[in-house]
Amino acid sequence: MFKAKRRTVVTVTAVVAVLLAGALAATLLTQGKGNASDDFVTNQAGQRPLAPDITAKSLTGAAISLSSYRGKTLVLNFWGSWCAPCRAEAPTLAYLSKEHGSKGVAFLGDDVEDTPQNGLAFERSFGITYPSFNDPGYLVAQEFYKVAPVNDTPTTIVIDKTGHIVGEVLGEVSFGEMTTLLQDAAVIQ
Amino acid sequence: MTDVQTPDTQAAAQGEPAQGEPAQGEPAQGEPAERDAARQQLAPDAGWGRWAWRQLTSMRTALILLFLLALGAIPGSILPQQGADPASVTQYFASHPALAPWLNRLGLFNVFASPWFAAIYLLLFISLVGCVVPRTFRLVGSARTPPPRAPRNLARLPQSSSYASALEPAAAVEHAAGILGKQRFRLRRPDAGGTDYWVSAEKGYLREAGNLLFHLSLLGVLLSIAAGGLFGYKADKLLVEGGSFSDTVSALDEIHPGRLVSDSDFAPFSLTLNKFTANYIESGESIGQPSNFDASVTYTASPGGQAKTYNIRINDPLSVDGAKVYLIGHGYAPEFKVTGANGQVTYSESTPFIPENTSTFESDGVVKAPDSSLGFEGVFVPTAITVAGTLESIFPSADNPEVSLNGYYGNLGMNSGQPQSVYQLDTSDMTEISGSPHLLQPGQTWTLPNGKGSVTFVGVKQWASLAVTYDPGQVPALVCGMLALAGLLVSFFVRRRRVFVRAVPAASGTGSIVTVGGLTRSDASGGFEEEFAELAAEISEAETSPAQSSTQSSTRPSDPDAQP
Repeated sequence: MFKAKRRTVVTVTAVVAVLLAGALAATLLTQGKGNASDDFVTNQAGQRPLAPDITAKSLTGAAISLSSYRGKTLVLNFWGSWCAPCRAEAPTLAYLSKEHGSKGVAFLGDDVEDTPQNGLAFERSFGITYPSFNDPGYLVAQEFYKVAPVNDTPTTIVIDKTGHIVGEVLGEVSFGEMTTLLQDAAVIQ
Repeated sequence: MTDVQTPDTQAAAQGEPAQGEPAQGEPAQGEPAERDAARQQLAPDAGWGRWAWRQLTSMRTALILLFLLALGAIPGSILPQQGADPASVTQYFASHPALAPWLNRLGLFNVFASPWFAAIYLLLFISLVGCVVPRTFRLVGSARTPPPRAPRNLARLPQSSSYASALEPAAAVEHAAGILGKQRFRLRRPDAGGTDYWVSAEKGYLREAGNLLFHLSLLGVLLSIAAGGLFGYKADKLLVEGGSFSDTVSALDEIHPGRLVSDSDFAPFSLTLNKFTANYIESGESIGQPSNFDASVTYTASPGGQAKTYNIRINDPLSVDGAKVYLIGHGYAPEFKVTGANGQVTYSESTPFIPENTSTFESDGVVKAPDSSLGFEGVFVPTAITVAGTLESIFPSADNPEVSLNGYYGNLGMNSGQPQSVYQLDTSDMTEISGSPHLLQPGQTWTLPNGKGSVTFVGVKQWASLAVTYDPGQVPALVCGMLALAGLLVSFFVRRRRVFVRAVPAASGTGSIVTVGGLTRSDASGGFEEEFAELAAEISEAETSPAQSSTQSSTRPSDPDAQP
C-alpha cells in the first residue's frame, strides 16, 4: 500500500513538473512577439465603445476637438513622417478623403513622434488636405488605450456618427479594409 | 552515482539503527528489494524513464544545472544584451563584423531569452520539483515518527557513558526520561510488560524543516522569476530633451512583454524629459570619465493626472504605477533643419546620434528628409579638434560641437512601406552630393549645389535612453531568497541527534547499571560531544545518591558500524 502511494506521488510530481515545464517553455520561447502588425478589428453594432473626447493642437497650431466631428463618420489615422508604412498608405488615405469627403466622411490625422515641420512637409508631399493633431508624445494615442489601443504606427480608427468606434486597422491600411469599415459605419453601400 | 543521494537512496542511507518507521513502511534493508520488485513490474522503457527521472532529480544534477546557470549568465554580463542596451549591441556588430553574427546565432546577445538558457532553467526547475515534492511527504512522515528503538549495545555508539544507579532499572530509566523530556527531546519507551528497560530520545527535527524551507524557497525564487517573465514587461525608450512619451505599445521603441501581458496591461503613465545632465572629470588620470548623470523628468501617473517631477539617476529609478523607469544610456542629438529645392522646410528635428566611442562621444547618425529627397550621414563630435585633417573628439562634453555630413540625393526607399532603421540610410537609390563630407558648426548652413536645398546645424541637445520595467516577481523573489538563506542556516546549525538510555539490574542485586548512548546524523557545526557529555552528567548527577555513582565516559571515533 505504501509502495503504491509512493509511486503515485512520483507520478503526480512528474506530471506536474512536465506541465510546468511545458508552460514555461512556451513562455520563454515565444515571448517578444508583442508588436502585432496588420491586425484588423471590427466591433459589432451595439457593442461599439465610445471614443474619448479629445481636444488638442493641430500641426498648424489650431485647437481641434473630436466631439466637433459628431454627425459625421470620422477616420482617425495615427501616423509619422518617419514611418515607412505611413508613407506607403498615405496615397490611399489622400484618395479616400477626396472620394468620400462629400458623403459625410471626415478624415483627421494624429502625427506621432514628429515635429510640425516634418509633418507638414509629409502632407504637402502626399497632397493630404485634412488636419492632424501634433502628438509628439503619443498623448492623443494613449487616450484610446482602453477602447482601441493604438499599438502600431500607423493605426487607423473609424468612429461612427454617434462617436462610437466601428473598428481599427493596425498597420498599413488597404482599400478593402477601409471599405469594410466604412460600410460597417453605414456610410457607403 | 554513489556519492549522490537521490530522494529514494537517501531514505535508504538514512535507515534507522533499529526497525520501525511506519511512515516509510520499509526497514533500510528492504529498500533495494522493493526497488528491484518495482523495476521488474515496469516495462524496460519505464525502467529507463525511472532511471532518467532519478538522475535528473539527484542533487548532483541540480548542482551541475545551477553551475551551468551561473556559467550561462557570464556572457550575459560580459557581452552587451539586446534587452538592456540595444545600442551597444549594434556597436558590437559594427566593431566585430566577423564574430558578432556567430555570437548572435548562439543567442549570446540575448542570453536570458535564449532557448539554451531556458532549457537549463527548466531542467533545474524540474530537478528541484522532483527533489522537493517527495521530500515534503517524507518530512511530514518523519515528523510524525517516534524515535527508533534503543540499540542493544549502547557502548558501540559514537558517544556513550555508563554509571551505577541506586534506583531499580525501571525507575532509573524513568528518571533519565524525565530529564530528556524537560530538554524537549521526543521520547519513545518499550511496549508495556517487557523486561527491557530503555528510553529513546530524539531532537533536532528543525534541521529537516530548514532543509525543506531552503528547497521550497528556491522553488519560490524560480516561480517568482517565471511570474515576472509571464506577467512583466521590459521596454526601452529613447527621449531627446523636451521630448515625451506615454507608456503604450506604439510609443515604446523596443518591448519584451511576458507571455501573459496584454497590450492594455501597460501602465498608462506619460513622461517628459526636461533636461539631461552628464558631468565628466576634467583633469587627472580618469579625465573624461563620467562623474554624474541626472535626467530631470516630469510625469503623470495616468491621463489627466497631476504632473510631478523627478530626477532619475543611475541606480535611482523612477517608480510610477507599479513600473520602474531606469536611466540606461545617453548621447547627443544634433538639431538639423533641411530645406528642399523650393526653399520649404522639410525636416526640423533633434536627431539622436549613437555614440561610437563612449570616452569621447564621437557619434554616428543619419538625417532623413524624404519629402525633399535628401538624406545625410553624419558624424558628431562634442569637443572637436582637427588632427592632420581629420575630425576627432577629445572630450565627451559638448564644449566645441561639430558635425561632418555626407549628403545624398534621391529615393530614400521609405515610400515602399518597408520599415527602416532610423539610424541607417539606404543610399542604394541615391547619389552622393558633391562637396561631401561637409563640416558644420552650430548655426552654420551648407547650401547644397545645383539648387537641391540646404541643411543647417541648428544646435545640439542630449538624449537619454530609459528602460521601463514591470516585474511583479521581484518582491516575492527577494522574500524567497531570504527564506532560502534562513532555511540553509537552520539546516546547517541544527543537528538531528539521538540519545538512548538503557538500564540493567546491577550484579549486586540492588540498583542498576545505566548506559547512555548518543549519536548525531551529521555534526557539521560540531559540539555534539560537549552536549552529550553535559547531558550524560546531568542524568547521572541528578540521582538521589550522587556519592554512589561513578561515571565512566567514553568517546569513540566515528564507528562505521554504529553510524546509520
